[in-house]
Amino acid sequence: MNRAVVEGTALGLLAVSVLALWVRSRWHARLESDGGTITREGLQYEVDRVGSELYRWLTTTNHRDIGLLYIAFGTVAGLWGGVDAMMLRTELLTPPADIWTPETYNALFTTHGLTMLIFFVLPVFYGIGNYVLPLLIGADDMAFPRVNAVGFWMLPPALLMARMGLLVQVGGQILSLFFPPEAIEFFLTVREVSVGWTLYAPLSVQQPNPQIDLLLLGLHLSGIATTVGAINFIATIVYEREEGVTWANMDIFSWNMLVTSGLVLFAFPLLGSALVMLLLDRNLGTTFFATEGGGPILWQHLFWFWGHPEVYILFLPAAGLMSTILPKFVGRKLFGYQFIVYSTLGLGVLSFGVWAHHMFTTSVDPRLKASFMAISIAIAVPSAIKVFNWITTIWDGDIRLTAPFILCAGGISTFIIGGVTGVFLAVIPVDILYHGTYYVVGHFHLIVVGIIPFLMIAASYYWYPLITGRWYDTRLARFQAVLLIFGSFVTFVTLTVIGGLGFPRRQAVYPPELQFGQQIATIGAYVIGLSALLWLYNMLVSYWQGDVVKTTDPWDLKATNQFTREWRWFEQRLVEKYDIEPTEPTSTRRSYAPEGEPKGFTEGSVGNVAQTVTRNAGLAAIGGFVGTVLMAGGLGTAWLVGVLDPASFGEIAEIVGLPARPLFGVVLFLVGGTVTWPLLFLAFSEYLPGRLLFETGLVFATVISTGFAVAFYTGQQGLALVGYLGFVLVAHWAYGLGLSVTYQYLESRRQARFWGVESDD
Amino acid sequence: MTDGDRDRGSVVFTYVAPFAGVLLVAIGIGAAVPGGYAILEGPVLNCGEPTIAVEGPDATADRFGDDGPALRQSQFEALSPAEQAAFREALTAPRNEAHVAGDFPNAAAFRNGSLVAYQGEQHYVTTVSENPCFQAAPLQFPLGVFAIALGVVLILTPPIYKRLVALDRRAR
Ligand code: HEM
Ligand SMILES: [Cu+2]
Repeated sequence: MNRAVVEGTALGLLAVSVLALWVRSRWHARLESDGGTITREGLQYEVDRVGSELYRWLTTTNHRDIGLLYIAFGTVAGLWGGVDAMMLRTELLTPPADIWTPETYNALFTTHGLTMLIFFVLPVFYGIGNYVLPLLIGADDMAFPRVNAVGFWMLPPALLMARMGLLVQVGGQILSLFFPPEAIEFFLTVREVSVGWTLYAPLSVQQPNPQIDLLLLGLHLSGIATTVGAINFIATIVYEREEGVTWANMDIFSWNMLVTSGLVLFAFPLLGSALVMLLLDRNLGTTFFATEGGGPILWQHLFWFWGHPEVYILFLPAAGLMSTILPKFVGRKLFGYQFIVYSTLGLGVLSFGVWAHHMFTTSVDPRLKASFMAISIAIAVPSAIKVFNWITTIWDGDIRLTAPFILCAGGISTFIIGGVTGVFLAVIPVDILYHGTYYVVGHFHLIVVGIIPFLMIAASYYWYPLITGRWYDTRLARFQAVLLIFGSFVTFVTLTVIGGLGFPRRQAVYPPELQFGQQIATIGAYVIGLSALLWLYNMLVSYWQGDVVKTTDPWDLKATNQFTREWRWFEQRLVEKYDIEPTEPTSTRRSYAPEGEPKGFTEGSVGNVAQTVTRNAGLAAIGGFVGTVLMAGGLGTAWLVGVLDPASFGEIAEIVGLPARPLFGVVLFLVGGTVTWPLLFLAFSEYLPGRLLFETGLVFATVISTGFAVAFYTGQQGLALVGYLGFVLVAHWAYGLGLSVTYQYLESRRQARFWGVESDD
Repeated sequence: MTDGDRDRGSVVFTYVAPFAGVLLVAIGIGAAVPGGYAILEGPVLNCGEPTIAVEGPDATADRFGDDGPALRQSQFEALSPAEQAAFREALTAPRNEAHVAGDFPNAAAFRNGSLVAYQGEQHYVTTVSENPCFQAAPLQFPLGVFAIALGVVLILTPPIYKRLVALDRRAR
């Protein structure tokens, strides 16, 4: 299949959906003000508004605006890399490389890895940092606002350069409709890079694909942007703190951003140099990484001297968010503040001393390797300290089961599994076995799809009221959080196990024994994808339609003395803008007033079973008829698909002594559905579980579906059997719902008439 | 506090059902996308036609000059018509690749790499992709679509549930 077209379409669809949501919500907002007529002036107004907004966003130097720009950019990159991931996992549904070619698969995992690591994670954390860090330390803005804007605006061109291969390929597809291949040779030659995100020499030097050069330039540009941002964070934290914010009481998130920025300062310039050397090798004939020159292993040293600290650059902000958010939802102060700060500093230093653990399978001197092994195992200690502190913070706490808390708890657990599997990899003999297997993929995804995005999303929920002044849909959020955690566990624990069995990674083709495991991992990945879309939907729609925040302390933090600086800023703003009274803790507790439990079908004013049956047999028959029609739809589809044999209907006719003709069977079926079953239902509904009538209906339908499934079974096997059972069950649910809902509907109209008269006097 | 409010409705219809729905949608996508692809693939794409790459004489000499590995040799004229056509096409294509559409008697040799003499010059030829046709059970697509549809309904149960509860109240 053509990858460029598929991926282009998927991304296009995503963009169009977001745009449609936006237009719809604007439309709703306008409906209220002018009754919904489109006038020329109205349109002109909209265009002007978009124009001036665009100008503002392009030129802003406000740290909060830039933070949002970073977050939006990171989200786009994350979705792009996510589409790559979905395409990877789709290929892996079957053992041969029959959906994409192996080359396309190679390109997919390369661009996926790079997009996620470079353009998704750090931009999002820089965004969060830009928005809340100055508020947390009481600064007016970042230290260098213009540099801040420049740093951000380097990223979009960097991403475009890095992913130019896809754009060029799509362009080539379109152009090839109009031009002969010779005229557009360039477009047909450029491909997405397919050498792996680690860009190992000599392959990355020798592959002719010009897109590799563009990628290197794009990465270089993004490295500059990252360094510039880090300098800004350091200067802000060191010089712009409000009076009273000292090193000893600064919040953990700012501490972690400080250490992260320090790591960036030492790691990224090195990556930049290595990239330039690679570019020179490719284009000017230098021999830094040639076998006859510096050697390919030199690339690995330089790459991983950046690469391992990069892992902590990605992880530390997430850890900072955890230490910030978790205590708020367990009503306790973070346990062991000092230990956490020291462990963060320790991680920062140690992270530069372990890079060769990525090179245990190379020719590096074994004595050197042994020392790297020792430090790699030691680096687990500071991480373990963090985990113990987090768990102790939760211990005995007053847990509030909100979406941010669920994500924090999920993040701790994926971090534990990801971390422990990582310690094993630090041991040379184990790594030599598992280096090129899915065990590695499972291990690091438990962190890069575990704690890192979990905490990003937790932060997005936690600060949503602060940023937008509105509430997100809290129930959807909790649901989304559980889905995300579930999907991640299913996918990546499965991959770890598959890898533990020794199956190699970076392969589009794999042995058939593995198919079931791969399919489970793929289904889990789709669940992750769906939950990401739910998150996006929630963020966008709540921005226009969420409930307005009416208190200055939306999370009830004053009650536990955790009303931190950013919320104080929020409170002050509300007070100034809307003259809202600052909320006091006691007044924020809403009293808990349980609603009356819904009553059973036959309880209450309507009367007992017998009365109901006699009075309502007619209603039930109508309901039964509606249900039967719905059910026939389901069964008809099953017959069309070919999982239900219509001949089996003849058999019911036989049972009652009529000729075995499907027509008779169908008539009998209708009569049964309209008369017999509804009456049975009314008679038994009291004894079936379910508080509401439709629940009872569902239970009833499920019970009779088992009988149906046995009676009409005609020897279906495998998929056909699954389909048969599925359709039978759903058709019966349709019946049960049709019956009970129609019944209730008619009953409610009857009641309305009845009570309508009564309430008049 | 809003987020942590204890849920007073049905756990089954507010959380379990949509959860099962998402799972069903995920499984449905896993079945329907490849299933649908298998249906489309035959008429739309050239599956079953392996791609070969043909290197020019210079690159070939670089690789297999005097001390290179010994490969099977063959003459251009001895190739099947489909192989010949693909060979010529690949020679001029931007990426030096082309599909073999038809009889492919030298498949095994090309898969391992092979030298072909054409107009007095040696060319290195390899199969770079087999482009196998994707196989899927015929039921996979319809059942996948069914699972997606059912999943969507289940995802939408919470609002539907609210309506049904309201209806139940009115009926009483
Ligand atoms: C929806 C979630 C994700 C899924 C389903 C997923 C899936 C995959 C798959 C299937 C591979 C290729 C495995 C192989 O054949 O070796 C892969 C590789 C990789 N992924 Fe992910 N991934 C996800 C999210 C992420 C995130 C968030 C990051 C980073 C922040 C990430 C970083 C990487 C890296 C670095 C590689 C290795 C690329 C290479 O081998 O060159 N992934 N992922
Ligand atoms: Cu490392």
